[in-house]
Amino acid sequence: MNARTIRWFLAAALLAGSALPAAAKDPAATCKPDGGLKVSDPVGDDNGPGTYTYPTDAVYKPGSFDLTEFEVVPSGNKVEFRVTVKSRIEDPWDSQAWGGNGFSVQMVFVHIDTDHKAGSGVREGLPGTNVRFAADEAWDRVVIISPQGPTRVNSEIGQKCPQWKDRIIVPEITRASGRTLIAVVDKAALGGAPAPGWGYQVLMQSNEGFPAKTDLLTRKVNEFEGQHRFGGGTDYDNDPQVMDILVPAGGDPVKKQHEILSKYNKAATTDVKPEDLAVVPMVYPCAD
Amino acid sequence: MTSPTLRGVLAAALAALGPAARADTVNFDMSGKIYTKYMYQNDATQGCLSISNPFWVDNIGGHNGACTEFELNVKARVGPKVEAGVRLQSRWGAMWQDWWENGDLKPGVSDTSGESLGMNHAQYIKLRAAWIRAAPPIPTVKWITVGSTDYSMWNEWTIGKARYIDRDNGDGVFVEGDVLPGRRLSYTFGAMAMPKLWAGPGWKTGLKDNDPLAGLYGTDWAFAAKIESRPFADLRLKLIGAYLKDWEADKYSPMLTGPPDAARGADHSVALSTRFRGVNATLEGFYTPSWVDWLAVTGLLAASSNYVNPEYATNLVRNGQGFSPVVFRTDSQGRAVASEALAGKVLVELFDPWQKGLSFKLEYFNIGSEYNAVMGSRREADVLLTDGIIAGGFTRGGQLPTLNIANEFQDWDEPWYESCIGWNGATALLELVRGPLKSTLEYTYIGYNTNMQGRDVKNQFPDFLYTNGFTDTTAFTADSDYANVYDRGKDPRSVYAEFQDRRTHLAVLNVQYLLPRLPGAVLGLKGKYIDDHDGRIRSNPNDDYHGKSWLGMATLTLQPTNELKTLLGYEYSRWKEDKRNGSETLGFTDSKTYRHTAHVGMTYAFGGALFGYTLEYFHKDLLRVRPLVDMKWNVWRAKATFEAAW
Repeated sequence: MNARTIRWFLAAALLAGSALPAAAKDPAATCKPDGGLKVSDPVGDDNGPGTYTYPTDAVYKPGSFDLTEFEVVPSGNKVEFRVTVKSRIEDPWDSQAWGGNGFSVQMVFVHIDTDHKAGSGVREGLPGTNVRFAADEAWDRVVIISPQGPTRVNSEIGQKCPQWKDRIIVPEITRASGRTLIAVVDKAALGGAPAPGWGYQVLMQSNEGFPAKTDLLTRKVNEFEGQHRFGGGTDYDNDPQVMDILVPAGGDPVKKQHEILSKYNKAATTDVKPEDLAVVPMVYPCAD
Repeated sequence: MTSPTLRGVLAAALAALGPAARADTVNFDMSGKIYTKYMYQNDATQGCLSISNPFWVDNIGGHNGACTEFELNVKARVGPKVEAGVRLQSRWGAMWQDWWENGDLKPGVSDTSGESLGMNHAQYIKLRAAWIRAAPPIPTVKWITVGSTDYSMWNEWTIGKARYIDRDNGDGVFVEGDVLPGRRLSYTFGAMAMPKLWAGPGWKTGLKDNDPLAGLYGTDWAFAAKIESRPFADLRLKLIGAYLKDWEADKYSPMLTGPPDAARGADHSVALSTRFRGVNATLEGFYTPSWVDWLAVTGLLAASSNYVNPEYATNLVRNGQGFSPVVFRTDSQGRAVASEALAGKVLVELFDPWQKGLSFKLEYFNIGSEYNAVMGSRREADVLLTDGIIAGGFTRGGQLPTLNIANEFQDWDEPWYESCIGWNGATALLELVRGPLKSTLEYTYIGYNTNMQGRDVKNQFPDFLYTNGFTDTTAFTADSDYANVYDRGKDPRSVYAEFQDRRTHLAVLNVQYLLPRLPGAVLGLKGKYIDDHDGRIRSNPNDDYHGKSWLGMATLTLQPTNELKTLLGYEYSRWKEDKRNGSETLGFTDSKTYRHTAHVGMTYAFGGALFGYTLEYFHKDLLRVRPLVDMKWNVWRAKATFEAAW
């Protein structure tokens, strides 16, 4: 194949691509009767409360933690959770070498509220996220989309939050494709097929292979960013350690996210209590 | 002693130690890790490292033994805008059997008791990293870092990220900052000490015992700058330039050539002369259009220039059988000149444009025949989309634009890397992800800018001696096979041959399927075909190399419990090579190779401890034409690791 042929090939591929239908950009949710849904999230809000910055190492490419779309796809006795970010998902740390799932830096927690009732579920966030949930929006299940292999994730759960072990789902398979992370979960593990009334909250974090003693494989947010630390928060465990979240419809979603994640007790530097933490909302995109 | 008394003594002791911890040490953070490895192979070697340094016997490589290392990391926030850290780690190489080893090997003294094998077996704790990072109130400056780093701020085409085991070996001074807000324009500058080992001609920057022409390495530095810009939301640009300078003392300096006589011009100063000068630059662009969310285009342009001064660097192309990480380029008059080349690649990605789970990638690459990133990544990175030639089934691989690739200090289950200098072609890759299925299909064509008739591999272009045949990474050893006595094929660094007229076709199919009913059961399949043709001397139809390689692999992953994951797999490879062995004068003969590999593995994680075990058996037959003998391998080998971090 000579250079001229290759140039023609490239041009043809580009032309073919430009003729393809563009993906929907509708920010509103798409709901399906089987519980499937698709929700968009704004581009450029991967800064937590508006101040967070990426670590300085080159592996943290711009957009790596910018959640742009969340999708639930039921199929047979399985459910696929698809989380799309703004940049191509890469594997700079060769996850296959450590039994991982084909990507390296992202880490996502998909919280699910199956009943929308007060007094049911868990209000605390998973260790290392430094968030909590409202009483009537407590999570009943959480799916962990991690590049770490399932045995490592299960081991961390056993160490750091064994009390929620039965509610935490490590997917049967986790993979990356393009800009999308995909987790396949058994419906039985969710307690049944997704229903239109279910609520979701997707917390975008980063995989930390050497986490702090109390953190569930999450990367710290500090006051100043480091080679492998997010910046723009505090050096204490009071700030929400998430880069991007879903927010309920209505109003400016970016502004709303910033407000939600800014509401924590900045004075609580030691002995941080649950009430000091930011409350993240559940999103019920398909509820009546 | 009663309890109250004990408490009193303890309190007094604590008080004597000093004041309570200061509030500003709240971020004082310590972490530790113990890593233990056990290796087995049915051979007569001992050690805990499959492939050690092949050049000299460093007595840590071998296939039978158990070894342990310990690592301690300490990080602290010194002040609001200053942080520091160190990493202490024990030396790798001592086996559990190394009883009483203290490293006191005495040169010239026969050690009949086997008491010491030297410091390689002494498990001494070594300072592996020390760094301080500060954010001084200087306009635009965000951080200044002084100390250890892994060079990850640059890229594989200039100064590459150090391999994991060398991650703290690089030291330098780095300044990073933002000129415009929102990362619209940011910069990083760095001055790095060049490694005295590996980063220059002859894999050194000046070791008089190893290169009589060079003895000074303390003056050698690499400088680099990175400018990143986001002129508009859809486009990111990154410009990196690196300048490597290996200085030697000017051998004609009056202070070195005679008495300190002012009349001779001696003034108690010594000038420096260039031994090696390397320049690499890249411009990368990342275009992610906001008007369509399924398209991304990335591109890279690169340039390299490497100059070797033969007055200060021994020519290893001439004197080292063609084993050299640099080209010793000369002009038509025989004068040393810089070896220069350009490189480029463009990757177009369509991410599931039809919303059917079908994605498409197309990459065009064109790497000049003399492009060489002497301090580029040596392994653990991959610059091309293709699976490449060197990657097999259980043994993975990647491509890097340097002659300085390091397939050493690694175990048999780790990936292999090949040089892609001179590659010119394209890769098309289809990816289908639908429900339980993920599948990729690749086709790659590789032409070679290095194709040439009568290339000077005696004096200028290193050929690494072994230029023919598929490299068998599974059977690769570094001990008695260093001279390739087991006919393991081409050296992965070899890109030049005296006569080459080569092209390669490559097709790869990967399938990953989540099986129903069995929790966490994943079936993996890989098929690969390579057709490699080298016409060698164009006018000679009887010397054409033609290699065909077929590979099939199936794996089954099961997760019986939350803690346990198992893998069972089988790989069949065969490659048929016409005119593989021989020479233009004696003629070439054919060979055939068949290899069966069975592989079982498991990981078990519990309470913060992680155990891994892999057992592999391979049988290989190498069939050659007389007088070359046939060879056979029946190899069992295992690797177990046990680690805990806290």
